[in-house]
Amino acid sequence: MKKNLFRIILTILFIGAALIYLYPTYQDYQINKELAGLRGQDSLDYVTKNADKIKSARDGRLKLGLDLKGGVYVVLDVDVVKLLEDLSKKKDDVTLNQILKELREIPETSDEPILDVFKLKLKDRGLNLKAFYGDIRDDEKAIEKKLSDEIDNAIDRAVEIVRNRVDQYGVAEPQIQKIGGKRIIVELPGVSNPDEVRKLLQGTALLQFQLLKDPETAVKVMKAINNVLVGNTVTDTATTKKTGTDTLKKNETLTAKDTSKKEIAGNKEIKKDTTKTGKKETVRKDTSKTNKKDSVKKTDTAGLTNDSANMQDSAANLSEEEFKVKFPFFYLVRLNEQSGTADGYVSEKDKEKVDLILKREDVKAVIPSDVMFAWSQRTFDAGAEKIYSLYCLKKEPELTGKVIEDARSNIDPQSNTPIVTMSMSSEGAADWARITGANINKRCAIVLDGVVYSAPVIRSKISGGNSQIEGMANVQEAKLLEIVLKAGALPAPLKIAEERSIGPSLGEDSIKKGLTSSFVALILVALFMIVYYRTGGGVADLALVINVLFVMGIMASFKATLTLPGIAGLVLTLGMAVDTNVLIFERIREELDSGKPHKTSFDIGYKKAFSAIIDSHITSVITAVILYQFGTGPIQGFALTLLFGIGANLFTAIVITHFIFDILNEKGHQAAIG
Amino acid sequence: MRLFKHTDIDFLGKRKIFYIVSISAIIIGFLTLYFKGIPLGIDFLGGTEMQVKFSAPVEVSDLRSAMDKAGFMGMEIKSMGSATDYLLRTPLQGEGQTVGDKIQAGIKESMPNTNFQVVSIAKVGPKIGKELRTNAIYAVVFSLLGILIYLSLRFQFVYAVGAVIGLFHDVLITLSAVAIFDAVFPMLQLEFNQQMLAAFLTLIGFSVNDTVIVFDRIRENIKLYKNEDIEQVMNKSVNATLSRTIITSGTVFLTVLVLFFFGGEVLRAFAFTFAVGVITGTYSSVFISSSLVVEWKHRIEKTTKVKSKTKFNA
Repeated sequence: MKKNLFRIILTILFIGAALIYLYPTYQDYQINKELAGLRGQDSLDYVTKNADKIKSARDGRLKLGLDLKGGVYVVLDVDVVKLLEDLSKKKDDVTLNQILKELREIPETSDEPILDVFKLKLKDRGLNLKAFYGDIRDDEKAIEKKLSDEIDNAIDRAVEIVRNRVDQYGVAEPQIQKIGGKRIIVELPGVSNPDEVRKLLQGTALLQFQLLKDPETAVKVMKAINNVLVGNTVTDTATTKKTGTDTLKKNETLTAKDTSKKEIAGNKEIKKDTTKTGKKETVRKDTSKTNKKDSVKKTDTAGLTNDSANMQDSAANLSEEEFKVKFPFFYLVRLNEQSGTADGYVSEKDKEKVDLILKREDVKAVIPSDVMFAWSQRTFDAGAEKIYSLYCLKKEPELTGKVIEDARSNIDPQSNTPIVTMSMSSEGAADWARITGANINKRCAIVLDGVVYSAPVIRSKISGGNSQIEGMANVQEAKLLEIVLKAGALPAPLKIAEERSIGPSLGEDSIKKGLTSSFVALILVALFMIVYYRTGGGVADLALVINVLFVMGIMASFKATLTLPGIAGLVLTLGMAVDTNVLIFERIREELDSGKPHKTSFDIGYKKAFSAIIDSHITSVITAVILYQFGTGPIQGFALTLLFGIGANLFTAIVITHFIFDILNEKGHQAAIG
Repeated sequence: MRLFKHTDIDFLGKRKIFYIVSISAIIIGFLTLYFKGIPLGIDFLGGTEMQVKFSAPVEVSDLRSAMDKAGFMGMEIKSMGSATDYLLRTPLQGEGQTVGDKIQAGIKESMPNTNFQVVSIAKVGPKIGKELRTNAIYAVVFSLLGILIYLSLRFQFVYAVGAVIGLFHDVLITLSAVAIFDAVFPMLQLEFNQQMLAAFLTLIGFSVNDTVIVFDRIRENIKLYKNEDIEQVMNKSVNATLSRTIITSGTVFLTVLVLFFFGGEVLRAFAFTFAVGVITGTYSSVFISSSLVVEWKHRIEKTTKVKSKTKFNA
């Protein structure tokens, strides 16, 4: 009995865990059902009200593969020939173009590295890499090494560019994976227009340097937006009308005081690095996030305008709710009064709302034509929340990334902190000197495809074209900035190697058929088991149900994706579960036939079946693992469900059904197995 | 309820008959594969494939002439079970998805009165296709190798070899069944794609599972009946596990049958392959794998006997 107690507790724990992991899936299903019944404003209200619940349900739910849900799947390869063309210093050379043309004609199935073929072709013509890619004093080997590094690095740039764009495109649960160091797999569920995706993924990356608007202007624009929002609220509800108009009359700006929110200051400052000899001038980004602690003051622009000082007085007494009503924009986009900047801090969950606000026509009308808002690429953590920065930029870029010749991330030997150095072409350097000279102590954002990767302060006029960016939190951050700067200098040309788009109707159809047929098959097998093995069959059927629960639960907990082959794998698992029980039951029958007592027969049957069960399950594990290793996408889904199923099956067969029979056979009862 | 009770069939005594059956099946299979080849899917071939759904029934010939006009001579056009659903396939990939766009434009131009929607498009580059092919071969070879090693450790090397030959047998026969059925019933849309690869690996898993259970009983019985002839012990074991073999295979077959008829197009090829695999898998574990082990054991016995005789004479 003691042994059984342990087994029972273990079983209950596992079933409980499976249910907990599956709860978000159920919740998500419920939410969708409720949403389907709502229209227009009601559904919007529902989404706003339950935003957190919806998000947590969506994060935790069992994910469906593209074959079940519809969507676009794209495999991207770096276009090495195009890259060689972009890298060369004599782009118009006839021979080079002829060679590149020949390279394009090589069948894609060739395994030979393109760089090797390229070298051979140059050699045939009595040329070398030096002629197109280096200076006279460069070593041929060194150039080759550099080229092959560039090819390898291109994939990292491409991943960053693709990720950046996909994030902006706003697809739920996109998947971007680097495979085998040379390929990117992009999965966009629910997207139905492959054309759009192609443009999104293959377009050239655009890197720009854009100045930030001065804080006064930025706050003014934000206030205007806030006023638009407040105006709208007025017409909506009677109670807020009064406060709304009050606010307008007093012409207050925001401030607040929210005891629960964190205050953040990204205090970026520009300093001139006097330690350097002047040959290399410095742009230092100092991200002293010193105020990232709890603070009574919430958000303000104090010190920037008199308005805000006034407002601070009057707003100091506002409750969280009142603040939300009076300053809806600043409630979402928090400012930091001590930072001296007008960077808005927006928690991840509010980002979408702010995006929607900024897209509204009435809001757009109050944003001056030379101003734009852009998000930070990075987030930082404030407590449990991820915070994005919202920058107010001058729309017209000062410079594009084309002028960048090189970028390197490094550790500054003097301060032992990560830095990124970048060099510009002579043409770009002249512009850069003018720009930096005219905007000392202002901030300049590095913007890739509309997303701000860094916004350092210009500390001095940089005339040599060599700039240094400091203040990165860690080496990874510096590395990312290097990749981004290079992406501007040298885009990573991508080729679509594979593309699949599955319409949602096919998905719906196949999920319905797949599920119904699996269900029908399951019922048939379950019925057969009861007819053939009586009580034993009933127990086996219970084990089947628990098995399904376990596999689904494990999948949800591993955040694995359920695909159509995955469902097939599940069905196969159930076949194996039936087999395991049949194996045990037949063994028990043999023992009963040989005249052994009921209970003993069960125990011996379980014991004798054990070795066969283990051996057959392990051989299945071997195939599943190999399938996972060599398969792609959907096949891996199949292998994964099979693997989870084998584990669940071993547990149900050896632990659960055994103790159930122990209990059924207690005190002289005899469980029938046919 | 019991379907089989204490059978005592002399399976191994009739093994010559099974050899003839299997060998002729394999020869037929090889011939079909040689002349007909395995119908490879787009996953392994590369190309562009598009599934379209028309709002009203369309003649294949109309669709074909539309494609010819659009410049896709010899485009593969398959009906997917009804006159409204078609699968169009060409080995061309084009840059981006221009092939898909051209196909759509072609239909619109030549058949202006029909409405259709694109259900799915797939474009697979030749490099990816080639990689999938190699990976498929790796997957099969490595899983056979893994099984060989594991069974050698758990049983004897002879048993492992017997089991793996049985698996080869199953894979070959199923592969030829796919080729034959594709030739006779093209509407089944049997072709070797990634999902069918999954079916083959599943059948390998299933078949080895069956074989392992028979071998497990042999392993057990050899200890119990030490004085009996190996052939008798094996017959006993196969008979003892027969009930389980048939019940399990029957339920799995039933499941797969339901998937085949009601699981929709996407699961059909998988279900078909696996259904054939269940039959050959069960057959081979009962008749082939054990028989091969017996052959081997007899041979060893003979040589040891001969050796001991010569020793004695000397």
